[in-house]
Amino acid sequence: MSRAAQTGPAAALLALGLLLAAGPAPADSDLPVHDPWEGVNRSVFAFNEALDRHLLEPVARAWDFVVPDPVETALSNLFATLRFPIVFGNDVLQAKFAAAGVDVARFLVNATLGVAGLFDPATRLGLEANDEDFGQTLAVLGVPEGPYFVIPLFGPSTVRDTGGLVADSASGVYSYFAPFWVSFAARGTDILNERSIHLESLAEERRQAFDFYAATRNAYLQNRRARVRDEVRGAQPPQDGVDEDLYHLDEDGE
Amino acid sequence: MQAPFASCLAALALLGLGAGARAAEKPGPRGVIEETVSAALAVLKDAKLSKQERRSRVQEIAYARFDFGTMSRLVLARNWNLFSEAQQGEFEREFKTFLARSYGSRLDAYNEQEVEIVGEQAEPRGDVTIRTRIQGGDFEGVAMDYRLRSRGGEWRVIDVVIEGISLVSNYRDQFKEILSRGGPDQLLRELREKNAAQET
Repeated sequence: MSRAAQTGPAAALLALGLLLAAGPAPADSDLPVHDPWEGVNRSVFAFNEALDRHLLEPVARAWDFVVPDPVETALSNLFATLRFPIVFGNDVLQAKFAAAGVDVARFLVNATLGVAGLFDPATRLGLEANDEDFGQTLAVLGVPEGPYFVIPLFGPSTVRDTGGLVADSASGVYSYFAPFWVSFAARGTDILNERSIHLESLAEERRQAFDFYAATRNAYLQNRRARVRDEVRGAQPPQDGVDEDLYHLDEDGE
Repeated sequence: MQAPFASCLAALALLGLGAGARAAEKPGPRGVIEETVSAALAVLKDAKLSKQERRSRVQEIAYARFDFGTMSRLVLARNWNLFSEAQQGEFEREFKTFLARSYGSRLDAYNEQEVEIVGEQAEPRGDVTIRTRIQGGDFEGVAMDYRLRSRGGEWRVIDVVIEGISLVSNYRDQFKEILSRGGPDQLLRELREKNAAQET
């Protein structure tokens, strides 16, 4: 699944308005999916897919052809290092101080031993990256997820995560220390580079899907919810019983 | 918390053991995943094999280790009853082919280098989850969890969860959409088409 990226102020206003309209998701033994705007979302999704197929994917193929794999990895590490203020800020906002300490140590190690963030020696030293953003902070603070929402140009999100993206993009390092074209070029390179790393895997996901819209929506929601619970990259083991209903059918009279 | 060295040794030891030694005692859930993963990696790293051969061999590995009957029921959930007995049988056969291929192609596309077993968790009602992580390559650190269920003392995989995304849940949602549009006939037709397309 392509990674969602930053978005503009228009989306922020939209997100705020939508947040107020957001109702609770219906309870069900299936994954709760709240998608009242499915019609519009499907159109936007189709538009994003077309854009990817005709523009981003071909350019990413060219990029992948020209740029050697180790350079792609180094760039990916660099952009991860540049996201340090966002991860650190959200560690603190969620009162995860031990994690915040690890992220500071990671930043210091990778900025020095890792040659300005191009390599990731910190992970090998046992300092594993935390994965936090403002969308997750909002979730921890109890803000409801809101309806599923496909952002034009950027991809799957929810109303809550759209608000999170806006806040995170405002706190990125570029916005304060560099002119806008630097930030623009950096974002472009980041997106292109990530897309080129995911050429094979995303093509595979498309081939394996019966309804790629439903597959992407389900994957996005499952992944985000697991990340809010720190189950994917964080130290937390999956919580007992969170997804237990998925695995038991007739015997309990469903 | 982690014992990469120990699990490497365990994987090596398992690779070295012959079929005779393995038949003597049925492996626990962790052993099943160690065997599955190391067998799959050995195939994927074999440079002599073509892409097709690699994928079909991983498919064979999945056939032996996945509980497709349970997976079929879980993925259809209450919609299982929409299917006639003949349709249920056909669904199981087609879905088995599809899933085993899909597992092989995904492993191949995700370009796995090494897999480390990082944890094991007993679920409330008897299942066991084995947590693994991809080491090295573009997908360094990606979390891949296997949920297993025991039947007659034999542990088999009933779900694969990649980065928090359960395969069973994902296909359940997709199939629900298709069933609401065209019922069991439509879903079976799409499964057959998908399987036929993957053969070429």
